[in-house]
Amino acid sequence: MAMKVIIVGGGKVGTSLALLLLEKGYSVKVIEAEREKLSRLQQDLPADVVALGNGTDPVVLEAAGILGVDVVAATTGQDETNLVVTNLARFAFNVARIVARVNNPKNAWMFTPMMGVDVAVNQADLMASLIAKESVIE
Amino acid sequence: MRIIIIGCGRMGAGLALTMSQRGHAVAVVDKDPTSFGRLGPSFKGEAIEGIGFDRDVLLAAHVERADGLAALTASDDANVVIGRVASEVFHVPRVVARLYDPRKANIYGRLGLHTISPTIWGISQAAELLSYSPLDAILNLGSGEANIVTTEIPPLLVGKAVSELTVRGEIHVVAIGRSGKPFLPTLGTEFQWGDIVYLVVLAASTDRLRALLGLT
Repeated sequence: MAMKVIIVGGGKVGTSLALLLLEKGYSVKVIEAEREKLSRLQQDLPADVVALGNGTDPVVLEAAGILGVDVVAATTGQDETNLVVTNLARFAFNVARIVARVNNPKNAWMFTPMMGVDVAVNQADLMASLIAKESVIE
Repeated sequence: MRIIIIGCGRMGAGLALTMSQRGHAVAVVDKDPTSFGRLGPSFKGEAIEGIGFDRDVLLAAHVERADGLAALTASDDANVVIGRVASEVFHVPRVVARLYDPRKANIYGRLGLHTISPTIWGISQAAELLSYSPLDAILNLGSGEANIVTTEIPPLLVGKAVSELTVRGEIHVVAIGRSGKPFLPTLGTEFQWGDIVYLVVLAASTDRLRALLGLT
């Protein structure tokens, strides 16, 4: 059976992630709160993948099928929103695996299992270490 | 007690002044330093500029020694995160988070967060004030999801048993005032003329109670 994934946040990160997972045959739902972003999302992704709504709203999460999902990824551009999503996913909906995007490295300390986060992806740190690595001339 | 208040809006500033006047040590945090103007000259506590879930800011407010924290920023998401961090990471014994969205208030309550929702409370207060009713709410429980109300027993119920005014899980008679003294009735107690009845009723069952009392 295909892995089921909910992605909260349909920005560039959420969209790229959705495309990657769809390619692997996963069943994906992307939740986006801003109506203006929806038409672009619907161009980039199959129509049934995209859902309009606030990912911190339990009703929206349930409608997106969070109760039968294997993974939730919180990829919005706001750390507090991502953390509310991870808290709900873990403590209200008991999701098995939860991944979250850290926007501001200053907030990384909150992205822990206590807040429902299994894996925190710290974009600034990742970029910095990649750039540092590539800058070294052997 | 040492109290931290995150968000110095009307509610945050008002709460800061109230707690400070009661003699508590208060620290208020807001990202906008001009908001501290709301505190006025009589405020004796501390005002700290910064983001409410910034670790350094929380530590500057001595969160590890705080007895209570109220998260009252304009963002529900920020309030939930601050509330969770305060109780889970810093073990602040009393934490309260304000939520504007009433649908979230219930589920976040299940996450172990004490939430207050001015929206829910405001709706129930305004609805109560707008609808004339001989039912007086004397105590709102939670955000008004249940209320303790009082009324004089209507003639149609005189001589009837308390069980006839009881709906399990919705409407319960908690006390009867008779001859100026309250007592706790059993389901078999019969109502008499002039009884003042105290009931606890779910907000959703208020109309049902009105019907039982013959008020509709």
